[in-house]
Amino acid sequence: MSLKDKYAIVSVGYTPQGIVPERSALSFHLEACANAIEDAGLQKSDIDGLICYRHFPPSTGEPDVPPYLVAQHLGMTPAYLAQDAN
Amino acid sequence: MLEAGLCNYVLITYGHNARSGDSMKKLLFAMSGDDAIFGHFGATAGYAMAARRAMHEFKTGPQTWKQIAVGQRKWANLNPRAMMYKQTMSDRDYDTAPRVVEPFGLYDNCLISDGGRACIVTTLERARDLRHPPVTLMGLGMDNPSADLTRADYLAGPTGARRAGRQALKMAGITLEDIDACQIYDCFTYTVEITLQDYGFFQPGEGCDWLRGGTIEPGGSMPVNTSGGLLSEAYQMGMTPLTEGVMQLMGRCEERQLGPQTKTRNPEIILCSDNGGILQSHACYILRRV
Repeated sequence: MSLKDKYAIVSVGYTPQGIVPERSALSFHLEACANAIEDAGLQKSDIDGLICYRHFPPSTGEPDVPPYLVAQHLGMTPAYLAQDAN
Repeated sequence: MLEAGLCNYVLITYGHNARSGDSMKKLLFAMSGDDAIFGHFGATAGYAMAARRAMHEFKTGPQTWKQIAVGQRKWANLNPRAMMYKQTMSDRDYDTAPRVVEPFGLYDNCLISDGGRACIVTTLERARDLRHPPVTLMGLGMDNPSADLTRADYLAGPTGARRAGRQALKMAGITLEDIDACQIYDCFTYTVEITLQDYGFFQPGEGCDWLRGGTIEPGGSMPVNTSGGLLSEAYQMGMTPLTEGVMQLMGRCEERQLGPQTKTRNPEIILCSDNGGILQSHACYILRRV
């Protein structure tokens, strides 16, 4: 069966962008996620799938950022976690 | 996962301190092979080689790419979120920019940005109960024709955009005539040209003429990268084009909103693209306001 028009994008989460020093990659994930959840008018407990789009080496002194770390810091326990390749 | 009923709301996120951290430098060095000793390393060199090959095979080059760089900058100048919001770009600015890797100058390259971007996907039924007008995934297509640049049996196209675009249009049941605007993954100016060309908006080598007269700009007949794109808004990977398509269809783009105020068509269907590697992988999404 076709997937045409079965699924919809319902919100967008932005963060400050450009040259924003002294911020970790994880912090941008968390802010974008929180803003997307708020923009949709949802609660974080509603989110049951989390996909991290692309994956880069961490900057020096930072942890690697897999999706479980994003979920953990958001205080969410999605049923499904996935990591896109880089 | 949504189709299988295992999830109801899927959150997709990207975040990176690519500008202020040293991650991108590590990545680009990691991408370098033995050819780095001859000066070939990083993504710019790879795309520059593909673009150079294209210049041999069909009519293209800086006169084509300038119209993309300058046109997208006009959109960025309408977008307060864009890194280049307050910096205009003239033809002369483009022509006199420092060279990076021939045939690319500075403004053929995308920005490198700190920041993040996220969006949420759910079923259309659930979407109707939420705050914003739903934007559906009307068509999807993917094609990943090679493992890396040196193993590609093409350099000047057709890229994965050819098959991915056809798949997406077929699923959506529409033709290019039905597309109101495009948000094209624009790591380099040439990427925009080859992607639009492989989708079929123009024949190989006809891009320069197709772009002439501000086709992709505010007031144009086929607006492209209306946030400024990766070239002039910010580099949030494929989330930059995808989320801009969504925001335009939701009608939330203020000064740069497609429709009467930018002398463009009211958008109902927007085509978005993403690609990875040096034109190795490609995804095409057709979004629709329902």
